[in-house]
Amino acid sequence: MDKLVTLTFQKAGMLTTVQDKGRFGYQAYGVPVGGAMDQLAAQTANQLVGNAEAMPVLEITLLGPTIHFNQAIQIAITGADLSPTLNRTPISSYQSITIKADDILSFGRIVNGCRAYLAIRGTWQIPQWLNSYSAVHPNKEVLPNSIIKKGSQLQVLTSPLTQEIKLSPPIPSTSLTPIPIRVIAGPEFKQFTTFQIAHFFSHTYTIANNSNRMGYRLQGMPLSLETSSSMISSGIIPGTVQINNAGLPIVLMRDAQTVGGYPRIANVVVEDINRLAQLKPQEQVRFVYHS
Amino acid sequence: MENETTDTKTIRFHQFGEQAILINFEQRIEEPINLQVTLLDTAIHAANIPAIQYTIPAYCSLTVGYDPTLLDYKTLCLLISNLTISSKENSVQNPTRQLSIPVCYDQEFALDLEQVAKEKEITTKKVIQYHYQPIYKVFMLGFLPGFTFMGKILESISCKRKKEPRLKVPALSVGIAGEQTGIYPTESPGGWQILGRTPIPIFDATKEQPFLFQAGHKVKFYPISKKEFVMIQKDIESNSFNWQEIYG
Repeated sequence: MDKLVTLTFQKAGMLTTVQDKGRFGYQAYGVPVGGAMDQLAAQTANQLVGNAEAMPVLEITLLGPTIHFNQAIQIAITGADLSPTLNRTPISSYQSITIKADDILSFGRIVNGCRAYLAIRGTWQIPQWLNSYSAVHPNKEVLPNSIIKKGSQLQVLTSPLTQEIKLSPPIPSTSLTPIPIRVIAGPEFKQFTTFQIAHFFSHTYTIANNSNRMGYRLQGMPLSLETSSSMISSGIIPGTVQINNAGLPIVLMRDAQTVGGYPRIANVVVEDINRLAQLKPQEQVRFVYHS
Repeated sequence: MENETTDTKTIRFHQFGEQAILINFEQRIEEPINLQVTLLDTAIHAANIPAIQYTIPAYCSLTVGYDPTLLDYKTLCLLISNLTISSKENSVQNPTRQLSIPVCYDQEFALDLEQVAKEKEITTKKVIQYHYQPIYKVFMLGFLPGFTFMGKILESISCKRKKEPRLKVPALSVGIAGEQTGIYPTESPGGWQILGRTPIPIFDATKEQPFLFQAGHKVKFYPISKKEFVMIQKDIESNSFNWQEIYG
């Protein structure tokens, strides 16, 4: 028998949002793609609880929420290791976990990564906008419940548990530094000189503090540009690396606007957009040409 | 680095990441070039290719997002380049319809009107007149969901963005920047010079089609008084507004 389970957020966490695969088809109107920053981790979380791919997950950023469950339900956490605990006892990520009535899920120290994903088995009782559950950037008021606040409640219509699965978590990319990010040539790649290209691939960049779901700003040695680098505005997709007027790269992420006027030197390969999503401000990256 | 294939005379295909194609037209902001973008975009939508997830028509480029597990880059380029030929003759739907949009240039809404008049050394009345005189083309949407980039505005009122962008531009403000004019669909930070406000909601999230404009539309502004502004606003709130007036 299906039953309705209520989650109550006693703490919201730093930025906890409902995300899914993204909102496709409305980019012509300026709607960002959105969706989970680390698509792979989000997808894995849903698989662990036997949910369909299109089901939403909670994207938990650095400081996690505290969640009360009023009834038994199955969950899974993937992505960043933010020291999840159930009733203050540590639990593992990358496995299905059965929650009992009145259990409290909370998070602690950041062990690795930036964004954890919480999948909850069942059908989430929340509305969609333009065929997606994802929080709407920048129109927060469109799906207000997709941004978790203290006291928020979320209802999930859940079915009996599926078989519990345990996976081995992926090796965090922070074992290497600077972290290599693979890119392919972007539309304006050829407008850069050999010297500028060499500079781009040989320097280490630091992720700036004001990086977010819209984009990662990178700090480091700027490219020397002879002229202002702006061009006629054109489409932007997640993973696009632009070079701004200061000669520094910006990697556009899932909530980026759909058009922009800086030359697109490169595009991060899909797999590495997910890896980049797990990097925090002040971590270091370098770009690697992917052929 | 085989990321570029050249098609016919005027358009170029570029691989754009692993899940998109960028189609570049002649790189100039001109109505006929933008029309080619609109026509190709319309043809792509009409062809209903399941692998295509979205498109982003811009001034002189078209981005096509696709699912590479369904179709590879080369096949999709070929499919699209075959469409380009037919798009010229084909007038599917009507992507170039004209909309009439009332704008109130009253002091209360025209936050930068005086400043623009001063900078261009003309009267505020002239600025208003020059603004509503032309028929504009919606070159593209972007920046915010539903924000329109329309042009081109007359040289006599063309001016730069504000040095210090406003933290809050009221929703439905009508502004200018460079050769462009546009409407803020929602309250937002922004640097355009604000000349007035429209009572017409150009973005309504509760509607199945939340956006009034699409790239390719033509727009004619007409001036209204504060009194008319309030009346239209009331009609819209009470659902008695005749939307045909806009499409007329």
